[in-house]
Amino acid sequence: MSNIKLEIINLRKEYGDLVAVDDLSLSVEQGETMALLGPSGCGKSTTLNMIVGLEQPTSGDILIDGKSVINTPSGKRNVGLVFQDYAVFTNMTVEKNLAYGLRVRKEPKDKIASEVLRVADFMCLSDKIDRKPSELSASELQRVAIGRTLVTNPDILLLDEPLSNLEADDRNRMRRELRSIQAETGQTVIYVTHDQIEALSLAHRIAVMNFGHLMQYDTAENVYQHPQNKFVGSFLGNPPMNFVKGVLRKEGDRIFIQNGDSSLPVPTDIGSKIENNSGLIAGFRPETLTVTSNEEDFSFSAEVLAVEPQGPESVVTAKFGDTQVKVVVPSESESATDGNKLNLMPNFDLLALFDPDSGMRLMKHGG
Amino acid sequence: MPGQKFTWYNGIGLLLALIFALFPVLWMLSTSFKPSDEWVKVPAVWVSGKPTIDNYLTVLAPEVLLEDRGGLDQYDEDGNLKQRSDESSGGGAQGAIADFLTKSAWQSIYGSLILASGGTALSIIVSLMAALAIARYRFGGNFTPFFILSARMFPPAAIAVPFVIMFSDVGASDTYWGLILVYAAVTVPFATWMLKSFIDDLPQEIEEAAMMDGMSRWKAHLFVTIPLIKGGLVATTLFIFILNWSEFLFALVLTYNKVSSIPVQMAKYFSATEGLLYGAQAALATVSIIPLVIIGFLIQKHLVRGLTLGAIKR
Repeated sequence: MSNIKLEIINLRKEYGDLVAVDDLSLSVEQGETMALLGPSGCGKSTTLNMIVGLEQPTSGDILIDGKSVINTPSGKRNVGLVFQDYAVFTNMTVEKNLAYGLRVRKEPKDKIASEVLRVADFMCLSDKIDRKPSELSASELQRVAIGRTLVTNPDILLLDEPLSNLEADDRNRMRRELRSIQAETGQTVIYVTHDQIEALSLAHRIAVMNFGHLMQYDTAENVYQHPQNKFVGSFLGNPPMNFVKGVLRKEGDRIFIQNGDSSLPVPTDIGSKIENNSGLIAGFRPETLTVTSNEEDFSFSAEVLAVEPQGPESVVTAKFGDTQVKVVVPSESESATDGNKLNLMPNFDLLALFDPDSGMRLMKHGG
Repeated sequence: MPGQKFTWYNGIGLLLALIFALFPVLWMLSTSFKPSDEWVKVPAVWVSGKPTIDNYLTVLAPEVLLEDRGGLDQYDEDGNLKQRSDESSGGGAQGAIADFLTKSAWQSIYGSLILASGGTALSIIVSLMAALAIARYRFGGNFTPFFILSARMFPPAAIAVPFVIMFSDVGASDTYWGLILVYAAVTVPFATWMLKSFIDDLPQEIEEAAMMDGMSRWKAHLFVTIPLIKGGLVATTLFIFILNWSEFLFALVLTYNKVSSIPVQMAKYFSATEGLLYGAQAALATVSIIPLVIIGFLIQKHLVRGLTLGAIKR
């Protein structure tokens, strides 16, 4: 494809004995927002630093517009990085901060002035142009930091945890603003975050990383609904995905996963492809379970242990076999009371089966 | 603190602290204008009844005094000309007076300016690079900062004598460059530690942001790091300058007659008949604090900034 903006090939970074990024390969298309998501220390910031050129990879290649940039210094890669702590120069006014990148690039003065005005207007900073950063709020500082980067018109805009220093209110507003900035500029954006909500709400595609490995790279929807391994299932979603460990049993035309004395029915089209008596882990999201009144063919029952009301919905913790499962039910549901037995019906389209040893999904989504 | 009133006992406390802090300076100032009989009088003379500028003349223009008093003749406590007696006093006592009366302190003031400025400049340049290497590139791991500081963990007197021997071997004794090297060497540990703490306070992202805009590492340090730690840099420079300006031991043992500094010159105000010339010493000390006071006043703003540094609003 010709519209691939960034391509990362077998990227690896070692710090002494520690492998921070291991064999990472992915590509980002022009105009796409990609989120690098993972817990702290998963290698996402290291990956970001290698893309912008602040770190040199141990091996592998990074292509921007099809050209390797491994040996290009960071200033020449035409990528823009917005830092977590903003990295706004406190000794300069907003205007000087915005103009900085162009001044360093020795652009003509009139071009700098017009570009700064354009970006200040776009970032809603026009009336703050003469202020010093100490007089700005956190979200205004964040806008200065993004504006400073946008003014240089980078091929790729990279954001390192841009919202983590903001208050909840500002964070929600900034998230909407980032969306509209991306939509208006058509900018290719790479977004590093440990916050799944940010990733899910902003990104077209999400690369989930853990311990330096790419766990899954897919659309936001697929990463959430069809995790390729247990880690992705557990890292995304709140409450996280339920995992029920058990053994697959085939009795006549009934196929189910046995856990203690409880059993979770599995539709034949899925179950028939798996060997009898093999151990596996079933994963299903709390909101994919529906409470049914009567015992249907594929429902299972679980005993309610606790109910946590959360506004319109309640999170129910229920006992199933020797594990606990979480279920999201409407708050008005009367059956969700402590000690009660719930009949639960999973959405089998969204039921995932994982190998208990590797944690990898047994059957790929759609396969 | 906002909301708290400044009360009369705050005022008295401040006044006491001020008197405590300024007393030595005021005493020095007062002594510098006293005639010799008032220097160590009991009870103490606070402000001289018969102020004189003789002490300043002794220090800055001894030839004027000599002129007034008839050349190399001795003078008594009241400044009256004593009868020259070639037979009784001999050359010795006369020579002792002549030593500081024939030579003003200007050479040592000039020497101190060269030594302190040179030593400070060299020390700050070296320390700044060392501090950057340690703070930003973790040069040599965690051990380096302590290794550098260990150079100050023993008394300077312990290395003074080896320095004298080494310096005479390489011909560095009694030279400006030799003493400048020593001054830089002994102040680099302090300066490195101070500058390191200022650089540590400055987030690395700010340099990386400049590098993203196309600067090299060197340029980022030069045009971003250094301007942003300006306050700390100024405070460190002044601190090191004061250390060098008042240094006595190395200047004493490593200089003879070509090079001198104010502290060394001060020790020379001693006469066989009157002992230490406190008035002259006070006058020279007063002269010597003038440059520091002026510099301190000029960079006041930066000194305060040095304490409230921080390039990024977190």
